[in-house]
Amino acid sequence: MARGPSRFALVLALSALAGIAALPPAAAAQGGASLVIQASTEPPGLDLTASPASAIAAVVHYNVQECLLKVDKTGALAPWLAERWYTTDSKNYTFFLKKGVRFHNGRELRAADVKFVLERARNPETKHPHRKRYEGITDIIVKDEYTVSVTLKEPNANFLLDIARQGSVIYPREAAETLKSQPIGTGPFVLAEWVRGDRIVLTRNKDYHVKGLPKLDKVTYRFIPDPNAVLAALRSGDIDVSGFGIGPEHVGELKKDGRFQVIVGDTTNDVILSMNSGKKPFSDKRVRLAVTHAIDKEEVLKGAMFGLGKVLGSNVDPMNPYFVDLAKAKPHDPARAKKLLAEAGLPNGFDAVLKVAPQYYYTVRTGEVLVSQLAKVGIRVKIEQIEWGQWLSQVYREANFDLSIIGHAEPWDIGNYANPKYYYRWDSPEFQKLFTQSETTVDDARRKDLYAQMQKMLAEEAPAVWLYMHPRLVVTKKGVTGVWKDLPIPSMDLSEVAWQK
Amino acid sequence: MAALAATLLFVSVLVFVVIRVLPGDPALVIMGTEGSPEAAAELRRAMGLDRPLVVQYLEWAGNALRGDLGRSIQYDVPVSRLILTRLPVTLPLTLLAGAFMVAAAVPLGVFAATRHRRGGDYLAMVLSQIGVAVPGFWAGLLLILLFSVKLGWVRAGGFDGWGEGLGAGLRALLLPAAALALFQFAVLTRTTRSAVLEVLREEYVKTARAKGASERSVVFRHALRNAMIPIVTVAGVQLGQLVAGSIILESVFYLPGLGRLALGAISARDLPVVQGVVLFASSLIVVINVAVDILYGILDPRIRYE
Repeated sequence: MARGPSRFALVLALSALAGIAALPPAAAAQGGASLVIQASTEPPGLDLTASPASAIAAVVHYNVQECLLKVDKTGALAPWLAERWYTTDSKNYTFFLKKGVRFHNGRELRAADVKFVLERARNPETKHPHRKRYEGITDIIVKDEYTVSVTLKEPNANFLLDIARQGSVIYPREAAETLKSQPIGTGPFVLAEWVRGDRIVLTRNKDYHVKGLPKLDKVTYRFIPDPNAVLAALRSGDIDVSGFGIGPEHVGELKKDGRFQVIVGDTTNDVILSMNSGKKPFSDKRVRLAVTHAIDKEEVLKGAMFGLGKVLGSNVDPMNPYFVDLAKAKPHDPARAKKLLAEAGLPNGFDAVLKVAPQYYYTVRTGEVLVSQLAKVGIRVKIEQIEWGQWLSQVYREANFDLSIIGHAEPWDIGNYANPKYYYRWDSPEFQKLFTQSETTVDDARRKDLYAQMQKMLAEEAPAVWLYMHPRLVVTKKGVTGVWKDLPIPSMDLSEVAWQK
Repeated sequence: MAALAATLLFVSVLVFVVIRVLPGDPALVIMGTEGSPEAAAELRRAMGLDRPLVVQYLEWAGNALRGDLGRSIQYDVPVSRLILTRLPVTLPLTLLAGAFMVAAAVPLGVFAATRHRRGGDYLAMVLSQIGVAVPGFWAGLLLILLFSVKLGWVRAGGFDGWGEGLGAGLRALLLPAAALALFQFAVLTRTTRSAVLEVLREEYVKTARAKGASERSVVFRHALRNAMIPIVTVAGVQLGQLVAGSIILESVFYLPGLGRLALGAISARDLPVVQGVVLFASSLIVVINVAVDILYGILDPRIRYE
């Protein structure tokens, strides 16, 4: 009989396994001034002036690098590296820099740095992803060491916002070529280590220009894409905060768990059903409106997002000061949808393909709910799942699609509808005129009125169906304080985050 | 050697062509929906992606021959350095999984064969059936739930490097290695069982028994030794499959290994990294195959290579 050796080997293998497992667990880094935060996507490089990815902003913007102005937690523009600014015509701007602000390399921030950063951004050779925003700049003059004035070709009311966005971070001239792996700035944290594929470690900037901040000594970003792995890591205590990885289906159970706090807030991420206006039958406004009336957005929100988020009616997100609530402007009305389809010569409905990228989990779920709703008015939709890279080529660049779902996370992005080449392929000279006016109008009340007109016009013309605002879902261990509830800009400010004493 | 070089040349062409015909423009993926299409087109030119495929291949292959696999678009470091920093995760993970697989499957297979059509055999077959049926990522999640969440013995994932000590490193790799080994363990158990069964029916086994050799000696010296050739063949192939399987388990346990590097690089269209990793992994598998061939000669002295 083969009793001895085979059994012996088995026992040996098992005891080796148990032996390694039973070693004392490593001391958990908790309670101190360090924090482990989960993010789903690792940044594609750390240079905010080379890539528009929000995964970079989530780490670098606000924490490592800062702008002249800051979008604060309410969405308002606040003075930051510029302690004040001055303009009367939205064309000539003067910025007065805060004194004594030091870059991570020890050098003081001067007006010449601002000039360098803006000139580099508008130079075609540096391939800034948002060069258009800086193209209107005609002159940058350093008045003294702490004063810089900027002149634009024509008034641009969005210029101050553009100066506060992730692409306008101020860095020292000598660091321009190494931003991708060693971003240097004026932020509350210094990049200490980037272990590619695993984690980014930030440490406290001892010379930070805001007294008393940051509150943490060390922040570790861990990149965990899989939501199940995120949940397990939360429960086993490996991570302290999940910034972006938890789906709405887990909110209920995590809320009941006394070890965690769940933060549900607002974002600028508008999830839309885009329709290809450059293609039949969506080139017919009646068809687009029929699709709009066929959709019950409340049910979509319940079915796809467990009721979290907010139903939308037009393109501007609820945190924007110019927001007009149009959620009920085009209500769910299947009878009306059928009538509109008949008027458009499609009494029996039509077939369409909905292209979605499952990398964004909500797109598939939302699509499934929409398919059943649209079927009720005779619009037979087939879902086609494609990989993100393909989505970008097929849908976003070539507009080779009927219907698609995606969240547009950029704040102040109504201008996309004024671009006939954008993948919606919606070409409305009237809307384009309104948008140009809004860009060059200085008076705030007048601008607000133009924004209201644009939002209403979008709801009437329906180049897309604005489904819902994707909620911000953050889970932290109990005792973590200072995390922003809402996210008016896709960046994550950790300067005030702390462990409760 | 010539065959080895030809295989690698073929693999390099295949890798290059397959990755280039993948739909999805790297420049566009980098710019995403936030960047303008004009910016993406400019980036495409800057990355040299608008040049003819043959020119791009020759340049890449020429550099690869000199050990230069290019520079990662996403991480801005040389690809070879990325591979070298990931190897200390994937290699031990695969070897540990391989060790688990062999240490559990060979004894269990032999045990099942000696209990042919009896309780022990059926039990072993049920175990291996479960191993075949349970997907590795799910087994990984179950192991995390039990050992990390419930018992708190090991972390739910992550790997901080061997600098933290051998024990900490091994502990981080324990669960993923076990989950990774499960399926291959099941397959190898079956292979071992049938290989040993086959040999046990041979005449010389009868002769050995008739000579009065002990059962232990019959099973281990006569049967197992002669059953080793099919077992080693299968185990060699499986070692390659473990390398492939690490892609999934490295994601479940968020280990910074080669698999996750490749996966991330594919979705980011970081072409130099994808090409480099695939070329490296194929070379690794070619090497494993050569090692298996050499092992044949040791196991069976009748096998000789010219």
